[in-house]
Amino acid sequence: MKKIKICGVGSVLLGDDAVGPYTARWIAANYEFGKGVEVEDLGTPGLDLIAYMTGMDVLILIDSADNREPAGTVTVYDKAAITRQRPAVRLDPHSPCITESIFIAELAGDGPEEVYLIGVTGEQLEIGAPLSDSVRKALPCVVEKVLERVVLHGGSYQKREIPEDAQIWWEEAQISVSV
Amino acid sequence: MAKRITIDPISRIEGHLRVDVEVENGSVSNSWSSCTMWRGIETILQGRDPREAWLYTQRFCGVCTTVHAMSAVRSVEDALNLEIPLNAQYIRNLILINHGLHDHIVHFYHLSALDFVDILKIPAADPAKTSALAESLTNWPGNSKKAFAAAQDKVKAVAASGQLGIFTNGYWGHPAMKLSPEVNLLAFAHYIQALEYQRKSVQAVAILGSKSPHIQNLTVGGVSNAINLDSLATLNMDRLVMIKQLMEEVKPFVDQVYLPDVCAIAGMYADWFNYGAGVTNYLASPDLPIDSKNTKFDLVGGYIMDGNLSSVHRFDGFRDKVFVEGVTEETKHAWYKGEDPLHPWKGETEPDYTDWQADGKYSWVKAPRFQGRPMQVGPLAQILVGYASGDPLTRKHTDKALDLISTVAGRRIGVAQLQSTMGRHVARAIRASMLAELGAKHWQLLVDNIATGDVAIHNNPEFPSGEIQGVGVHEAPRGLLSHWSVIKGGKIANWQAVVPSTWNASPRDAKGQLGPYEASLLHNPIADPVRPLEAIRTIHSFDPCMACACHTFDPEGTAMATVKVL
Repeated sequence: MKKIKICGVGSVLLGDDAVGPYTARWIAANYEFGKGVEVEDLGTPGLDLIAYMTGMDVLILIDSADNREPAGTVTVYDKAAITRQRPAVRLDPHSPCITESIFIAELAGDGPEEVYLIGVTGEQLEIGAPLSDSVRKALPCVVEKVLERVVLHGGSYQKREIPEDAQIWWEEAQISVSV
Repeated sequence: MAKRITIDPISRIEGHLRVDVEVENGSVSNSWSSCTMWRGIETILQGRDPREAWLYTQRFCGVCTTVHAMSAVRSVEDALNLEIPLNAQYIRNLILINHGLHDHIVHFYHLSALDFVDILKIPAADPAKTSALAESLTNWPGNSKKAFAAAQDKVKAVAASGQLGIFTNGYWGHPAMKLSPEVNLLAFAHYIQALEYQRKSVQAVAILGSKSPHIQNLTVGGVSNAINLDSLATLNMDRLVMIKQLMEEVKPFVDQVYLPDVCAIAGMYADWFNYGAGVTNYLASPDLPIDSKNTKFDLVGGYIMDGNLSSVHRFDGFRDKVFVEGVTEETKHAWYKGEDPLHPWKGETEPDYTDWQADGKYSWVKAPRFQGRPMQVGPLAQILVGYASGDPLTRKHTDKALDLISTVAGRRIGVAQLQSTMGRHVARAIRASMLAELGAKHWQLLVDNIATGDVAIHNNPEFPSGEIQGVGVHEAPRGLLSHWSVIKGGKIANWQAVVPSTWNASPRDAKGQLGPYEASLLHNPIADPVRPLEAIRTIHSFDPCMACACHTFDPEGTAMATVKVL
């Protein structure tokens, strides 16, 4: 059994950058997965991504992409395409570092064999804005690409008869605070 | 003639740090620190329920999640003058301790060690000699010849593949790299081992916070971890024992690997105690409260001016009058409107963008000031305030570190010399060793308190109809963090976060006083303007975090690091 992790990454406070966390939560609320498959909203973990990919066989990231395609385009990058990015000399060591995280995890011998990044081209990154319509329309396609890869690597899923609350709390005016 | 170097690392991402330095005769003669993203993210909180603020602030930054959550609940609790049950204090403290340990370990090994360690010298190392050297320092079981040979093989494999991967952009072979092949190998082997230990601290946070990286267990007034030592669904003895075991595994790593490595590297690069002092006014907040009213703390807070360690002013609590009244933010050199210094409760965030202007506005970061002075925050500030005020815990850990550094350096390095680029790394490691010790203490405090039959975790907040103001303070891994809230009729009317990197990355103020990054770069040597490793060492020593930015993936992001020499 392969260990597969689906991670939504991005800032939920910056418009379309929320597409990763949004989709991860939506998937977790609407699908049940077989053993070995986990879904998480990781926000913007920087290098902390290493801690979450360690020990996984397959890592499926969902993120907003800045690839000059029309807004709402869904593009799948595999590990070779992702690691084509050259790591930076950083001043601020906490900026996005998917490539670095993969390299470091591999160096330790704990890195995932396969990595996919399902990138959604964003339209706006306004503070506090909900997902744009173009990105929202792309969501079924993103979900499909994620599920395809789960199956490809031997994972299984089932649609929940009654979906759970996806808890997209940042798009709702009021949320309940439980004690 | 002065040469201007712009270090603009990741131009595709908004919200990063940019540094400009002028170099004259191989040394920095002037410098500017700027942040390239509008930081008005707090505006998202206006009109919201103060009980929810922490959920939003936790998303300001993906690395500093917990710390913004904690400051936000403390801010609202301060406004309400709400007491926090002891169990909740200890549970929060354990989260902060484990988060801090994770953060400090990652900062040293994975974000800054390679400023001093030359990867490409590792293939020439003798693993047996490396092992003998390591065993002369500590008893760490991971220091065998076999372990070092395995680490060396990893580097050899990477070098042989022709694809340097993570090491592509390092400043290998730079004249400022001075370690022997054996010490380079030692540090690199621990770089790999550190991955495992930082993860244990993340696991401890996840058990206490129900989840990581975004903890779920905070409430204004306490925590939501129901305590029942016999119930499966709550914080029970099994979970408490798991947390204890994780901390007991991390502590030896800090004591026998992280701290000795930093001390050894510091001793071998002792010239870096001469550079990077910069702003020698220090500000730290007390933290790890051990009573419900926030009057007693395990970490000391206060301030020191002009590097004078014989004169320290201590803060009594989170809401020390001197602290609360002393803080202002200025915008003369930042891209915001308004001329006068404003107190954070009155803070405005109205953008006024111009180009980058060396003599005008050049940053999205405001200039926070305390009593009109720029202040350095971070582990160094906390350690100096603790040491200067005679705190026994700080003194014990600091003296131990200074002894080891002095032995390696072959000359005495005293506490005053910690005011430097290297001192910031050392102070962070000292803080980690204090946190590792305090972790065991706070675990015991929690367990002993539960044993008395106290299972209280929460006091209910009640909001008055009028206006109230609060400040939520936390001595975070990067230093003093404060969230300033104004609440009217149970809704947020204003919210300002004055974050550690704002203090340290501050631009000039109206009086022309440089911020800490800027001042610390002055007189740094620069051997090669195209590869300004020395400037990067000094900036990294602060552990900057501007990641309150977005996270867009750019597949063409090849030219991520640019160093421009004009």
